[in-house]
Amino acid sequence: MAAVSVAAEWQLLYNRYYRKPEIYTMQWKQFDLNRNKVACAPFGGPIAVIRDDSKIVQLYAESALRKLRIFNSAGVQLSETVWRHSGGRLVGMAWTDDQILVCVVQDGTVYRYNVHAELQEPNISMGKECFEQNVVECVFWGNGMVCITEANQIFCIPDFQNPNPCKLADPLLEEFPLCMTVIEPQYTMSGNVEVLLGVNDHVLLVEEEGVQQLGVGVGPLQKMVVSRNGKLLASFTHDGRVLVISTDFSKIIFEYNCESALPPEQLAWCGMDSVLLYWDDVLLMVGPYGDPVRYLYDEPIILIPESDGVRILSNTSMEFLQRVPDSTVSIFKIGSTLPAALLYDALEHFDKRSAKADENLRLIRSSLPEAVEACIDAAGHEFDTSRQRTLLRAASYGQAFCSQFQRDRLQEMCKTLRVLNAVRSYEIGIPLSIQQYKLLTASVLIGRLINCHQHFLAFRISEYTGLNQEVVIMHWACAKITASLAIHDAALLEILLDKLKLCKGISYAAVAAHADKSGRRKLAAMLVEHEPRSSKQVPLLLSIGEEDTALVKATESGDTDLIYLVLFHIWQKRPPLEFFGMVQARPLGRDLFISYARCYKHEFLKDFFLSTGQLQDVAFLLWKESWELVKNPMASKGSPLHGPRIKIIEKAQNLFSETKEHAFEAKAAEEHAKLLRMQHELEVTTKQAIFVDSSVNDTIRTCIVLGNHRAAMKVRTEFKVSEKRWYWLKVFALVTTRDWDALEKFSKEKRPPTGYKPFVEACVDAGEKDEAIKYIPKLADPREKAEAYARLGMAKEAADAASQSKDNELLGKLKLTFAQNAAASSIFDTLRDRLTFQGGS
Amino acid sequence: MAQIPNLENSPINLTALRDQSQKELLNILKNIRGKKCLVLDPKLSGSLSLIVPTSVLKENGAELRHLSAEPVQTECTKVIYLVRCQIDLMKLVCSNIQSDISKGLQREYHLYFVPRRTVACEKILEEEKVHQLVNIGEYPLYIVPLDEDVLSFELDMALRECLVGGDTSSLWHIAKAIHKLEFLFGVIPNVRAKGKASARVADLLNHMQVEEPVILSDMGAPEINTLILLDREVDMVTPMCSQLTYEGLLDEFLRVNNGSVELDASIMGVQQEGKKVKVPLNSSDKLYKETRDLSFEVVIQVLRQKATSMKQDYTEMTTTTQTVSELKDFVKKLNSLPEITRHINLAQHLSTFTSKPSFQGQLDIEQTLVEGDNYEVCIDYIEEMINKQEPLVNVLRLLVLFSTTNSGLYKKNFDYLRRELLHSYGFEHMSTLNNLERAGFLKKQESKSNWVTIKRALQLVAQDETTSSHDIDYVFAGYAPLSIRLVQHAIRSGWRPIEEILKLLPGPHLESKRGGHVKSSPIDARPGMPTSLDKVTDGHRSLVLVVFIGGVTFAEISALRFLTAQEGMAYDVIVGTTKMVNGRTLVETFMDNLG
Repeated sequence: MAAVSVAAEWQLLYNRYYRKPEIYTMQWKQFDLNRNKVACAPFGGPIAVIRDDSKIVQLYAESALRKLRIFNSAGVQLSETVWRHSGGRLVGMAWTDDQILVCVVQDGTVYRYNVHAELQEPNISMGKECFEQNVVECVFWGNGMVCITEANQIFCIPDFQNPNPCKLADPLLEEFPLCMTVIEPQYTMSGNVEVLLGVNDHVLLVEEEGVQQLGVGVGPLQKMVVSRNGKLLASFTHDGRVLVISTDFSKIIFEYNCESALPPEQLAWCGMDSVLLYWDDVLLMVGPYGDPVRYLYDEPIILIPESDGVRILSNTSMEFLQRVPDSTVSIFKIGSTLPAALLYDALEHFDKRSAKADENLRLIRSSLPEAVEACIDAAGHEFDTSRQRTLLRAASYGQAFCSQFQRDRLQEMCKTLRVLNAVRSYEIGIPLSIQQYKLLTASVLIGRLINCHQHFLAFRISEYTGLNQEVVIMHWACAKITASLAIHDAALLEILLDKLKLCKGISYAAVAAHADKSGRRKLAAMLVEHEPRSSKQVPLLLSIGEEDTALVKATESGDTDLIYLVLFHIWQKRPPLEFFGMVQARPLGRDLFISYARCYKHEFLKDFFLSTGQLQDVAFLLWKESWELVKNPMASKGSPLHGPRIKIIEKAQNLFSETKEHAFEAKAAEEHAKLLRMQHELEVTTKQAIFVDSSVNDTIRTCIVLGNHRAAMKVRTEFKVSEKRWYWLKVFALVTTRDWDALEKFSKEKRPPTGYKPFVEACVDAGEKDEAIKYIPKLADPREKAEAYARLGMAKEAADAASQSKDNELLGKLKLTFAQNAAASSIFDTLRDRLTFQGGS
Repeated sequence: MAQIPNLENSPINLTALRDQSQKELLNILKNIRGKKCLVLDPKLSGSLSLIVPTSVLKENGAELRHLSAEPVQTECTKVIYLVRCQIDLMKLVCSNIQSDISKGLQREYHLYFVPRRTVACEKILEEEKVHQLVNIGEYPLYIVPLDEDVLSFELDMALRECLVGGDTSSLWHIAKAIHKLEFLFGVIPNVRAKGKASARVADLLNHMQVEEPVILSDMGAPEINTLILLDREVDMVTPMCSQLTYEGLLDEFLRVNNGSVELDASIMGVQQEGKKVKVPLNSSDKLYKETRDLSFEVVIQVLRQKATSMKQDYTEMTTTTQTVSELKDFVKKLNSLPEITRHINLAQHLSTFTSKPSFQGQLDIEQTLVEGDNYEVCIDYIEEMINKQEPLVNVLRLLVLFSTTNSGLYKKNFDYLRRELLHSYGFEHMSTLNNLERAGFLKKQESKSNWVTIKRALQLVAQDETTSSHDIDYVFAGYAPLSIRLVQHAIRSGWRPIEEILKLLPGPHLESKRGGHVKSSPIDARPGMPTSLDKVTDGHRSLVLVVFIGGVTFAEISALRFLTAQEGMAYDVIVGTTKMVNGRTLVETFMDNLG
């Protein structure tokens, strides 16, 4: 039976099965791990290889120059570069979570490469101390690193995305520690990295803030490694024991005595269940219970810990050592009679057209759903596609007999496996297990694929898994631009647009920005033309120097903020005259500039108006300035006649008179200056500072009130005040001074051009009934008479006057005025009745 | 009674809109821990009073101050400036901070822009070297609901900025605000616009839908069916006339500010010397909701009637024996007593203004101007106003009305009146005159006026008085507002039938369909065939958003409400405006305060 052969490859560690399928035969030719320093990225990532300069190796037919080569997990070379860095030996090399290869050399310089072996500038220096003391050893985790120097000082880069080296507390060591490892920041209380140093018989925990002594007496420890979840520490003691301790050193979880006291070359966790020790030729797997499993190797290997097992890289193959998943055990364990095994068996019988298939199904009827589930799950854990297929077929076969089973579970698994199989192929070489894939997530996987320039696959996967393809297309477009120096702008634009249009809402501006950065300004300009979002488009146009277009686009968008952005940009970059020219050509831009400058850059605005010949606008500005001067008392000091204020106003007047259309303003400015002069004079002669900045009318009024009728007349003639206005003014002024004789005399001077209305109104307003009555009869219009009487509360007289006017409506209104007064209102009622009667007859 | 209006009866969920604004503001406060001083620009503080009660701001640890040229006096070390993005306000903020620095005060500054940060404002911060000292944030308040059917964008200077300065920032703001509404209530399928600014907003709105689309499939059918955009510039006649509705008069004489009026306590029957009280005015007050849109004369009758029936009930109550349920009814009626008293007090106060002969004279001359047939009388009236030195705003208001209906003044009168104005009120008003001229509201005549044609074609002035009770002209003295007539046509049949008239009014007009989400009958789907809204088809009332760019008066809103309340009208209206205005406040925005 096939099932038997499957289980035959398993090894039992106490009660758990382990398997170690080969996932790749390495594609590299004649490769010796021993001669090289190797860095393997987890999650089936790339492998970086460089000749080990700490070993003496024989050179065959090769250059003495060292080469850094990067392979995928199947040993297919992705890229290579010549290593020419100075700074001493390469001390440490590892991949970060972002798949950046970090190489640390003795003098503390950190070089970074991407998967294309392109150096990522800038290089990081670990600082002066490292430079002087020499780095001896490095430990890496996710996105960080610590290193220790010959002077036993520890330095750290907590996050390579933001590489700021810092120094940890001085552990005050005399000798170099026996071993070193770290607890990742995400698992520590402080949120900062903790370094564990094996020193004498104990361990030192070093942090930024201080040093702590832990586990006195457990050691001396020769080798340490922390488990994936940061909770457990596996170590190898000087007397040949494997010791697993909780990382707070409160508890020893288990202990195993090895035959040799020689510390292993490599120590690693296999998932969370067992610890691997590697010496030359022997790989030992130790679990908490039972005898360890021993594997023999006749070539060097490298252990690559993964979340659910360990990949084992040798010169010729890549294996994956993992605990056999429970679902797989339930199916393939020798002699298993669990439902899943019977279902798998049933399919075999079915394929052979044997009736035993039915028998099997009957046996497991009640637990069919769990059997189907187990088959699906087991399929997911398989690397072998034919076995995946068989398991899925078994699931599908069983599913046909189950009514309540989530059918999309099978479909989901097929989808997932398609993705996994695609990336596991030799040319891609990412041997993810299903558990790793789930941990990594599809979007990160897509990110890694596009970083490796596997855009097409990434595109297909994101399409298949329903993720947004924008990331892929965007990256592709940028990569395409970088790689297409030889293609003409127009041709390249066409190629790019063809793909960019696949994705709605993609940011053309971002692609254009990349084109610009790659030195293809013209292409950038062409691309940005396609960007629909002005808020993205305009800043970019500015950065590629397309200022005019930016101004046009900003104006089109109607977003005044964008227009200002462009304006300030040009304003800063260009000489004023050039700026004025550009602004003048765009009405909205011009108006906004003027609005801003009016508030904040007065003088500059004047220059602008002068340059564009808008003299009247300069005049208005000057004229407004003259008012500003009032607020600033310092400026108006000095001789009043030639005061700076009047000068400015006269300057404004001259500018106004330059254009015919502004004759009115010119005249007004002239009069304004004249008025100010007269007011100054008046203040001097009257010794009262009450004239300046009042209106012509007020000046006249003040003169009359002060009894200075000559001065009033002078102002009147000087400003050609009309007869009518003069009467209104003088009457009101006289009433203010309560000079009733003068008022009467004035009324009799001649027939007033305004009629007697001003006299009546002024007296009524002042509440002078007796005076008012003198003038009311002289009013010509009976309506006005009636209203005046009404305002004085004289109902009878009002009614009489109203009846003269024969105005029904007026009567109604008057009645409303007298509404509170019963007697008065009856007068109006009778009158109105009479009127209506007359009107009706 | 709360000043924050109750929005539950709104045809769309405005409560959600306001709640969001409230939450955003409180989050700003919460994210800055501990005690803090919140410095508001005064105008914004008025708008905010319709969003969040000040007590809630205080509960969140904020001490409140108004932004002014004076440095902020507070013990708090954290100062939050919440200001509209305006250049002159930036100068105040900068001088505030600079004064703190010179005094050696160490404070933490947060500057939140309403509704968004702008390059121009930040430029000033940079030039004044305070940019590094402040943490900048945004408070995206684009819309303030004034009532269940009125939204304000709180852009009081919009008209002036657009027409005098050519600064169209407000148009972007309006489009953004409408687009925000679309995110909540769906893409508005029908758009009708009249006027330069309106056409631009319609254009911007389409632009925004391209840049930042409201995903059509995410939403159900759009809740707002039609958007009508109208420039104030198209109808400057209406706001210059005196409003005669209750609410309109309250605004004319007492100035309704952010949904309330402030007056002497004695007027409201509270005997406290010199104390001011704030009276909230919104539809949460049932009696106000009932009367606000009525002509003031009618309101007096209504109030009298209510008072009388109340009195009657009361006398009955004291004389005869009552059943318990009758007693209960009576007590229920008594509950409305404070409302009735409040409005009687207000109405009484108002009538002291309306009964003045000068007000009657004002109405007469407005009527003459709207009739547009007695040029000389009008000139004389205005000249006399100037001679009497009546408040400048009133003179300008009439002048604008005159200039608009007459398409300008004869050059002789134009120069003469302007000179009289400058002589009487001072030369500092030259810039005010210039502003009005630039806006086109005051000009010399260059072509014959077509006001009479417009007036006749749109039946703005009732021919005989009997028809008037069924029409919207009651809101002004016998004049049906032009703006509302246009809206009426836009709703009923679209622009096409009145295209000839529209051409006589300033600015382009346009009509467009958007979104492709319209579920319409085949007839409507035909291009160029406007959707008619004012027939009841399936009992479903459709919703029209009418946006006035440059402000709207209460009387116009009353007229719209009057229309939707007519029998057989199958639509509701929500009004959006840059600001609530009347003739006086509108003219005031054009006045420069010099000297």
